[in-house]
Amino acid sequence: MNDWVFFLLLFLAPVVSSIPIVLAYKDDKWTAKLPYLSVFGIFISVLMSLHIFFAMSGQYSYDWIPDLGINFVFMCDYLSRYMGVVTAVIAFFIAIYGLGYMKGDYRPSWYWFCFNLFTASMLLVVYSDNLFLLFVGWEGLGAASWGLIGHWFRDDDNISYVGKAGRKVGPLEMSWAPSFGGWRAISTIRFGDVPMFLAIAAIWVLSPTLNISEINWHTLFISLGAAGTIILMLLFLTGLFTKSAQFPFSEWLMTAMTGPTTVSALLHSATMVAAGAFVFLKLTWYIEPWHLHDVPGVEPVYLLVLFVGLISGLYGALCGTGMRERKVLLAASTMSSIGLMFAVGATSYWIHEEIAGMNWALLAAFWYMAIHAFAKASLFLVSGHLIHATHSRFLCGNFEFAKRMKPAFIVTILASIFLVGIPPFGAYWVKSMMDELKLHLWHHNGMILPIVLLITISLVYAAVIAKFLSLNFIKGDKPEHEHVEGGGLMKLGYGLMVSVLFVLTYGIFKFEETQHFVHAGSENLSIIVGLSILVVFVAAIYKPQIKAFSSNIGMFFNDRMYLPFLNDYIVPKTGFFIAHLVQDYGNRAIDAFFNTTVIPGFFKAISRAIRAIQTGFLTTYVKIAIGFVLLILILASIGGMGL
Amino acid sequence: MTADLTMIMVALVVLTLSAVFSFKFRALGLIGAIIALLIGLTTCPFHFGIFIFVIAVINLLSLCALDGGIKGVDYGLVGLMGLATMYIFTTNDFAMVLAALVLVSAPTYVLVMLRDGRANVEVGVKYITFMVLATVLFLVGAIILVYTASAFNEYLYVLGYVMLVLGLCLEIGVAPFHEWVPDVFASADPIPISIIASLAKIVPFVAALWILVTTANDMTASLSLFTAVLAAISMFVGNIGALTSKEHARVLGYSTVANMGYLLTCLVVVANPEYLYLALTGGLFLLFSNAAGKIGFFNAIKEKGAYSLLMFILAFSFIGIPPLMGFWGKLFILLSLAEMEYFWLIGIVVINSAISIPYYIRLANELGVSWELNLTNIICAAAVIIIMVTVLFVPVEWFSTHMAAMAHTVGIAL
Repeated sequence: MNDWVFFLLLFLAPVVSSIPIVLAYKDDKWTAKLPYLSVFGIFISVLMSLHIFFAMSGQYSYDWIPDLGINFVFMCDYLSRYMGVVTAVIAFFIAIYGLGYMKGDYRPSWYWFCFNLFTASMLLVVYSDNLFLLFVGWEGLGAASWGLIGHWFRDDDNISYVGKAGRKVGPLEMSWAPSFGGWRAISTIRFGDVPMFLAIAAIWVLSPTLNISEINWHTLFISLGAAGTIILMLLFLTGLFTKSAQFPFSEWLMTAMTGPTTVSALLHSATMVAAGAFVFLKLTWYIEPWHLHDVPGVEPVYLLVLFVGLISGLYGALCGTGMRERKVLLAASTMSSIGLMFAVGATSYWIHEEIAGMNWALLAAFWYMAIHAFAKASLFLVSGHLIHATHSRFLCGNFEFAKRMKPAFIVTILASIFLVGIPPFGAYWVKSMMDELKLHLWHHNGMILPIVLLITISLVYAAVIAKFLSLNFIKGDKPEHEHVEGGGLMKLGYGLMVSVLFVLTYGIFKFEETQHFVHAGSENLSIIVGLSILVVFVAAIYKPQIKAFSSNIGMFFNDRMYLPFLNDYIVPKTGFFIAHLVQDYGNRAIDAFFNTTVIPGFFKAISRAIRAIQTGFLTTYVKIAIGFVLLILILASIGGMGL
Repeated sequence: MTADLTMIMVALVVLTLSAVFSFKFRALGLIGAIIALLIGLTTCPFHFGIFIFVIAVINLLSLCALDGGIKGVDYGLVGLMGLATMYIFTTNDFAMVLAALVLVSAPTYVLVMLRDGRANVEVGVKYITFMVLATVLFLVGAIILVYTASAFNEYLYVLGYVMLVLGLCLEIGVAPFHEWVPDVFASADPIPISIIASLAKIVPFVAALWILVTTANDMTASLSLFTAVLAAISMFVGNIGALTSKEHARVLGYSTVANMGYLLTCLVVVANPEYLYLALTGGLFLLFSNAAGKIGFFNAIKEKGAYSLLMFILAFSFIGIPPLMGFWGKLFILLSLAEMEYFWLIGIVVINSAISIPYYIRLANELGVSWELNLTNIICAAAVIIIMVTVLFVPVEWFSTHMAAMAHTVGIAL
């Protein structure tokens, strides 16, 4: 079989399989059955990604517009082979869960088409080597996310809102409807996509190829100079930061929780926010910044990414401590995790050590992304089930409730301990590697801040996840409603999801490239940090609400340190100010020029003059005509004599 | 005496005799004029001769709608104009070109005064005053130019060029020498005006072009700026005047001023005979479409309206919507201007075409009525057939090839 068939099936199966449900959107009987076909489409993608994982490697290129250097170019390298499987498998598990979760929804056609488009777009981003093709997938992610976040566009069910209705901070009401959530997402993302597109266009002009793996980044950066390199990378990074909800573009991610939980799960684990970090890792993989220390402009860029990542990590974790809504708490923690991926990926600039030709920092960032994806998806799926079971999007649930929701409780415990870095589970080994990398920055580059921030973030993060566990299952209020029966497909979904974490942990011990993680995990510092995390985690479970935190500081964190003002107040006010300027002065000037004063005035004056001549008296006419004739003849004579 | 001249002589004899006998039998004037034009057609290159013939015949037919004091002789006068117009395409003789100009000009002095019943003397005086001035300036300018061709004198050349162009402007009504146009068009009878606005415009243009090309020298290029400025003024005055006028005949008067502005732009090309064929093709297309359009609109004014569809097609041709003849006229003129690198003038032509859209549509809208079989509608239909000839029969390329051949002939005369 030809290789192109695998790619065709990989990308098209999810989309094509969800076309029937779109066509049958009016028929309730069909829309109840056809989701199974959509899920099957994703299953085909899973098979294809597994085939690529085991049997394919290197670059595959198929002509599209060869004259412009825009082609279907797919790269099956370490990153994309793993990430492709991660994406497809997570999407598949969430889709199974969604069969139960979305039952009886008012527009299943819309949901399943967008969901599958979302998955296919992410796969395209993962495998694309050609920047233009990647951008196609990138835009697909944006469009599908808008459709999914605003899925409950009628805004008629309070359970899909984010924030508390009626609570005001200054002029802002801290409550966001699904339709507004969708709008906030797409508008923020577009803000970054345009500069990113400009950056791709600039690369297209400056480089003979758009294929990430073939671009000679060294030559490109040298030819651009320091300022040019910084500008180009900043343009590109704006796209990545907005998509990955890094500070200060994080607001859309919080209100993206207005979408169905399955969407939140997919959005937070393997697509969308992960896409930004993934593309950053993919670019860095081929830019090889650790070899570019002689190129001016590269270091400031990586320094920026390092600190944007760390600041986002701290910001997200701190906000998480104050959150009262299940999904928004997890959203804040995701932002924190993605920040760590950026920060660790950026560390590669200063790290020269490689395993099997792969930079340590990139490996650590990528493995963290994979573990985080499965753990976070599990937590989201559980919280979706909890929302169904309790009819509340706020944190609630006590130990009695946990006993009746055993699978969810167990999955939450597992996902939490694998995620926060408690030895010897999953993320502990990767986080140990991160500690070592940041320690390297301190010892070799004199930067102490990264290691301090990393450990702080890890501790706060553990507390946030522990709070989620505790307030949902152990120490929370008794839920007002309890509908714990049923939900088989949902349990299957998150059960499958969390089980992958064992596989990944096994992989860390098994694979050659991750051996150093194990080594790092046995360092003293790592063990101390790991045990500290355990202590914080247990303490937070025991006392999930500290009094001070439930009052002023807690509300400050719950209000995301008032960052919504940026999205909902400062930016719109600025926009409206400009719009008013355009309206009041620009439009009026254009109006005055074309419609009221200049041109009409000109016409009026000329028309008057033309009419003034027409007196009807021949003598006037002759005077005018002869006057002009004589004038011109005199001028011609003077001019002619001058010759 | 050449064979062509002999045929013209024969035609003139037929014309004179039929005019004389038309005092007895009126129909003879019409028949004689048509026969004379047919004879004249044999002397003229067929491809544009046929246009002149058809335009002249339509003019003749439209005269049927008018009961003037010299019924019968008026056919002879139009026949004479038609013959002179045909002849100017064949002659290489400077004196004959000037004779043709006068022969086309003089009959209009009489025609302009025609109306049902008594002669319209007031209009006649206005018109004749301007025409006399125009003809004198034109003739003096032409003679000076021809003189400088044999004995070159820079000063005289400038004077001759300016006088010739001024004469042309007065003759065809280019702003700022257009004062007579709106008044005469508005107060004279529409039928003679349709003749003055159509058939009478061809010869002055071709004559001026002929003389300017045959006497062109190194200075012509710099002098063409003068012509270009006049053309631009005329376009604006004509179009804005038409846009802000209400009376139909007055709108058409200003429209003529504007169209003559478009036409005048052709004269900038004389500095480079290489592109003359483009300008000639454009100029003639514009003249023919202007003639057909004016005939249609004026006849519609005379009979208080004509069939709507025909009116709109005429309006679209004036605006310059492809593939009607008016479009090809403007296109070829613009092409010649582009070759001469007069880009600012191209911009002005395009802007003016846009300005003209509302009043032509308004005209068609107000003059359009439902279908009825009468002379006006037949004449309008004939006019529409002329401007649709570029769609129906004559491939434009074929026409321009012949124009190139003719321009070649003119080039040899140089």
